[in-house]
Order: sequence, then structure tokens, then C-alpha cells
Amino acid sequence: MKLSSNLPRLLATAALFVSILSCSENLDSSGVCSVLCPVVGGEVKNITIDAVVIDTTVPSLSGLGTEAGLLLASRGDTLDTRVVVRFDSLPEKFTPTGDTARAIASVDSAYIRFTLDTLSIKGAEPVTIEAYDVDTTANDTSTAAVLALFRPDRFISSQTFARAQLTDTLKYFISNAVVLAKIQNRTALRIGLRATGPASSQMRFISVEGGFGPNLFFRATPDTTTVPQTVAPFSKTPVGASILAANLTDYTVIAKAPPGAPPSVLSVGGLPARRVYIRFNIPDSIIDSATVVRATLLLNQLPNTAIDPTDTVLLLPEVVLAGTAVIDPAKAGQIIGTISVDTLRLTPGGSGVKNVELARAFTLWHTQSPDSLPRAIVLKSLTEGNTAIELRFSSSEDIAALRPRLRISYTAKVPLGLP
Amino acid sequence: MMRKTLVVVTALFATSFPSVGKAQGALSLQGLGYPPGQISARAEGTGGGVADFDALSLTTPASLAGVGAAALFLQYSPEFRRVTTSGGSANTITARFPLVEGVLPVGQSWTVALSSSTFLDRSSETSLARTQVVGEPPGDTVTLVEQNKVLGAINDVRLALAWSNSPVFRIGVGGHVFAGSNRITFSNLFPDSAEFISSTQVNRISYAGLAASIGLEWHPSRAIGFAVSGRKGGDLRAQSGDTAIGSAKLPDHYSASVLFEGIPGTTISFRAAHDNWSTLSALSSTGIQAFDGWDIGGGLEASGPRILQRIVTVRLGGRARTLPFGFNGEKVSEKTFAFGLGAPLTRDRAAIDLAIQRASRTTASSNVQERGFILSIGLRVSP
Repeated sequence: MKLSSNLPRLLATAALFVSILSCSENLDSSGVCSVLCPVVGGEVKNITIDAVVIDTTVPSLSGLGTEAGLLLASRGDTLDTRVVVRFDSLPEKFTPTGDTARAIASVDSAYIRFTLDTLSIKGAEPVTIEAYDVDTTANDTSTAAVLALFRPDRFISSQTFARAQLTDTLKYFISNAVVLAKIQNRTALRIGLRATGPASSQMRFISVEGGFGPNLFFRATPDTTTVPQTVAPFSKTPVGASILAANLTDYTVIAKAPPGAPPSVLSVGGLPARRVYIRFNIPDSIIDSATVVRATLLLNQLPNTAIDPTDTVLLLPEVVLAGTAVIDPAKAGQIIGTISVDTLRLTPGGSGVKNVELARAFTLWHTQSPDSLPRAIVLKSLTEGNTAIELRFSSSEDIAALRPRLRISYTAKVPLGLP
Repeated sequence: MMRKTLVVVTALFATSFPSVGKAQGALSLQGLGYPPGQISARAEGTGGGVADFDALSLTTPASLAGVGAAALFLQYSPEFRRVTTSGGSANTITARFPLVEGVLPVGQSWTVALSSSTFLDRSSETSLARTQVVGEPPGDTVTLVEQNKVLGAINDVRLALAWSNSPVFRIGVGGHVFAGSNRITFSNLFPDSAEFISSTQVNRISYAGLAASIGLEWHPSRAIGFAVSGRKGGDLRAQSGDTAIGSAKLPDHYSASVLFEGIPGTTISFRAAHDNWSTLSALSSTGIQAFDGWDIGGGLEASGPRILQRIVTVRLGGRARTLPFGFNGEKVSEKTFAFGLGAPLTRDRAAIDLAIQRASRTTASSNVQERGFILSIGLRVSP
């Protein structure tokens, strides 16, 4: 009797339990695919085409002072770069410990603290860094005007560093008297740095744009219990151009750089930094009618031994996001988007065919009409503006065998439908 | 020069596409899919034997005349399947709602019904990992995963009318609209997205066709009954978007059944049906062969114990049939053993039927073994 009354409930409960289990459908039969799943996709085919319609070298970055690093180099006749840091706003008062604010009447232990990219250091010999007063009323972006101020009557101080002293935080001490004079005269403190020494040297400081810019420190009293003054870089000029002024708080001045590539050669990197803009004409049949599984730009590298030919440069392809309204490659080459986290590692002295993968660009182009988004990419150095190293490639003006080409691996689209 | 190159490339792309088949992943899912059978949980419990006398099965319109009262019927039939091959095995769960029906007696002699049932269920999903060489020789060898997912079915929507003015003879006719779609998703997945482009293609195939059916049921005595039925298929068209991609004749279906009720409280039934599945071969782009086949089954239905003042009906049955689509050119046969229960609910204004079927599917020579449990739960409500 008891069993008979429980049986329907047991059956109903069991049925309910199994039904709930089956609510989460699982159709995956992958475990038997080696026997029961024929290969669906077709064979991958390859084709190499001359699809480049425009390839040219364009300037990178949007102007002086926008780079993430400050390159200080002294490499004989090959490379000479200086660093300028502007402290246009200096404090005039300080507050001693346990006292009220008062005017700064003395400066002690003044130094600029730089964050140094130790991997960028070249040269094992000691290096002397000279500081010059480069304050001027000349045009803010005039390189020649600034370089002319690296002269004896503008000399402030110098400091020599052994290689072992070049650590990731570099304290560069400067004349206390000069800092005090600038404070009391209410003038801008604009420091120009130049590297000298018995041998070549090169290093890169992180700039304000790089997130760890230089800062000026000094004590306004010999009393060591008083907190030191900290001054961040600031530029008051050019007046009315706040973005440019912000860029010019610290920047690199190129006194001498290796000559650039000839116009018929594509150039990536160097100083001033350059990029390569390439626009393709890819048949719609490839993008729309087939399934592209890999797209590779084949570039013929030309050896460039001008400077550091064995150093590694990370080449990064990016897709141009500028619409068809932007017809100037130099401008279009600034409006770009990241398509690859992987970089191509090349050395300037290398040569031969190099493969640049454009898979993700094709993924984007598949969703956009060429009428709205040209099939264009930019090749840039990951450290553009921070090194003089330059990669060179044959352009479409070269002989046919050396021109940039596009190799596409594709499969036929699977005709989805009837079994 | 470049223009010429592009023209050549375009032509090359346009002409080099091969026609390829589709992954299925089970013997029962070949071709356009698996036919659940269009019979109720009650009929499944008897191996299909009672289907041609069962108003809730859709094999014949004549049986509608015996429904008695207006009724709504819904059935849920999940299948728990295991496929074993020499290369591995797979366990799947397929949720199906193979039957829904509304029946309405009109006057003393007429009964009308509207129903929808799953005709061919193509739901499947597979992932096949294989190596692929990409690039100019020697190229890079990568592991490519092909994911293939098909969801959807062809359904049979039937409007049927049955007549009977005595328990001796029933006749019915039905008009069928076969409609449905398959949503197909095919993905090529590469491991390194920086170098390779993974892709996904999606397509939807829709089907439409017409058929007509007729059924007769004759009970010369209270102990025995006979039924015959037939469905004549019209054209079944397949379309992708606005484009017709194929057509075939819907398979004709014929059945004959006998019912013996000479033992009090017991019904013994036997049914033989034939389907001209081969007409669907024309709806394959890869030459998958469909086979005509018999569907033979029989079973016992008996009054069981009285539980909670309700008489529980117990059913046993067995069934053998040929599935529509072959594997490697061979017929796929299915054998089923079934057990079922039925019980009235809420003063006979509702009834529940449970059936559990153990199905095994094989071909003559392949090493593939397919086993499945199909649990069917049918609920009939008379409003």
C-alpha cells in the first residue's frame, strides 16, 4: 500500500529529474569526428599579387616633443642629439618646518631626476653630461635657435657618470646659483643637456609623454628637516598653443643624424622618425568571395649600416582608419589603429624578403567597404622617435621582383546548406 | 599589367571552389536528419503498433475520430545518445518537442485537428581538429579546428478532418505543409590570431512542401481492428535566402496496422509502414544516399495496477526501421525496445504518458555503434 502510493511520485520525480537534465542540450559529437565528420573546409591555396597602389614614406608623430623618450646621444659624426627640459614656473616661496612661508633666498642640492631606460644605453666609457641655459625668445620650434645656445657663455654645469652610475634613476646636479638666480629674477629655467666624452655614448630618458618625466628638486634652506622643493616641467610658450607648449616641456633636439633614405626607398624609424604608408587594391573577389586565412605583406629589406646595423627593431603594422576623405598619406598615416600585438623583429643591416602579417587588417576590411575605408596600412617602429635606427625596404618603384607584394592564403567558401 | 593580374585573380577565386560535405557526428544525423517518427508517447511505448489507432499520433487522420473530447497534446522527447567509433566516443543530449496537437470534435461525427510534428531533425554540432599547411611550400603547419553547428528541423504541419458515426468505421483526410529551416554555422578556428584569420560562415536554409494524407480504420468486432493510411508527398523545395537551391519529392508513406483487444484489459497491436525516403536523395549536394525503408513494430498495452485510485496503463514494445539517410552508402537501421506508462489525471480531464526507448543504430559493415535512450513525456489536456 505504501509502495503503491509512492510509486507515481517516484516515477514523476524521476521523469522530472531526467527532463531537467535534458534541458541543457549538448549536441557536441566531436569525440567521434575522426570517423563521422568529413573535412568540410577546402584546401588552402596561395596567391601572390602586386596589390600595392601607393607606398610612400611619411613623417611619424604629430610634432616636436611628442615622443615618449628623450634621446641624448653623442656618436661622433653619426648622431648628436640633445635634450631640453623646461621649468618655466619656479616657486618663489617655501615654508620651513614649523614656520610660515617666506621667500626663497638660497638654493641647495639642486638636481634633475631622470628616469633612464637602461636598455638604451650605448657605450661603456664614462659620459659627461653638460647643462646649458637654453632660454630664448626665439621661435619655440626652431631647432637651430636652440642648438646655437649650446655655447660656453650659456654653460651651467657638467657631471660625469661612469657606466655603472647610469642606473634607472639618474640624479643630474646643476648649479644652485643658476637656479636661485632664475627664481629671484622670475625667469624660466630651461636646461639643455649635451653628452660628451672620450667615446660614443647614447641613452634615453623617459619623457613626460612617456609617463615618467624629469623633475627638478632643490632645498630652499640648509635645514634638512624641511621638505625639498619639487618642480615639474612646464612650458609657458608658445602662448595660445597649449598643446604644443605641453609637448615642449621636454623634447629631443637633433643636431646631427644619419642621412635619410632616398625617396625611392621605404623608410621606417630614423630621426626624425618616419613611417611607411601602403595602400592596396585588393580584388573584392578575394575579400568577399573567398575565406582568407592568412595575408602576408612581402617586403624586400635593404641593408642600412649607417648606425647600429645589428640592433633589433620591432616593426609594427597598423591599419589606417582614415576614410577616403583623407587623401594625403602623411595625414592618413597618423590616423591608425592597432591590429597586431605581435611585432616583426628586424635588424637594420638585414636584407632579403621579410613577412609582415596582416591577418587582422583583413578581418577589419572584410566588414568595411573600400569606399569608406581604404585598404591601407602603416608600418612603424615600436620605438619610433626614440632611436635613430632606420629600416629600409624596396618600394614599388624598384624592379618587379623586389617590389612589395601581397601573399594571400585562402580557402573556398564552404557552400553551407544542403547536406 | 596590374589590372590584368587582378582579373586573373578574380577568375581564379571564382572557379576554384570545391563542393564539400557537412559534418554530422552520428549515424542517425546523416543527410537531412533524424525522423522522430511523428507518433505519441503512448504509441512509442508499444513500438509504434498502436499509432494508427491513436488520435494523438500523426500517422493517420482517421484515428482522430476516436478522440472523444477536445484535447490539447504536447510531447517532450529528449534523447541521450552515445556514439562509439574506433577513434573515440561522444555523448550528446538532444532536446526535442516532436509533437503538439489540438483536437476538436465538431458535432456527433466530425473531428478536426491542427498539429505540428518534427519530420526530420538535423540538430548537430561537431568540432574537427586537423593539421593544415598554410603558405607557400613548405609553409607553416597549424592545427585548424572546424566547428560545424546545424540547428533546426523540417516540420509537418497538418490540418486534418475525420468522420465516424459508429465505432466500426472511421475515415480521415489531412492536408500537410512541410516547413522549417536549418541554421548552419561553420567556423574555421586558427590558434594564432596574429598570423591567421579565423572565420565564421552562417547560412539559413528554409524548406517548404505540401502533402496530403488519408486514413481508414475498421473494427469488424470489438476484439479486432484494422487500419490503413497513406500520405502522398508533393514537392519539397529548399531555399537559401531568395535562391532556390534544390527540390525533391516528399516521401510517400503507407502503413497498415492491426489491433487485437480480445483479452480483457489488454491491447496487442502491430504495424508495418513503408517510407519512400529515397526521393529525398535529390536534396543532397554531396550525394548522400537516402533509402526506402520499412518501419515495423508491435507491442502490448495492458491495464496495470491501480495507484491512487487510477488505473495505470503499462506498455511494452519493439520496433525496427530503416533510417532515411545512409552512411558511406549503407543503410542505417534502428532497433528500439520500449517501455511505457500512462495514467489519467484530474478526473480524466488530463492524461500523462511516459515512454522510454532504448534505440540502437547500426550499418551492415561499419564499426560505428550508436545507442540512445529516448525519454518521451506526453501530456494531454481536455479543457
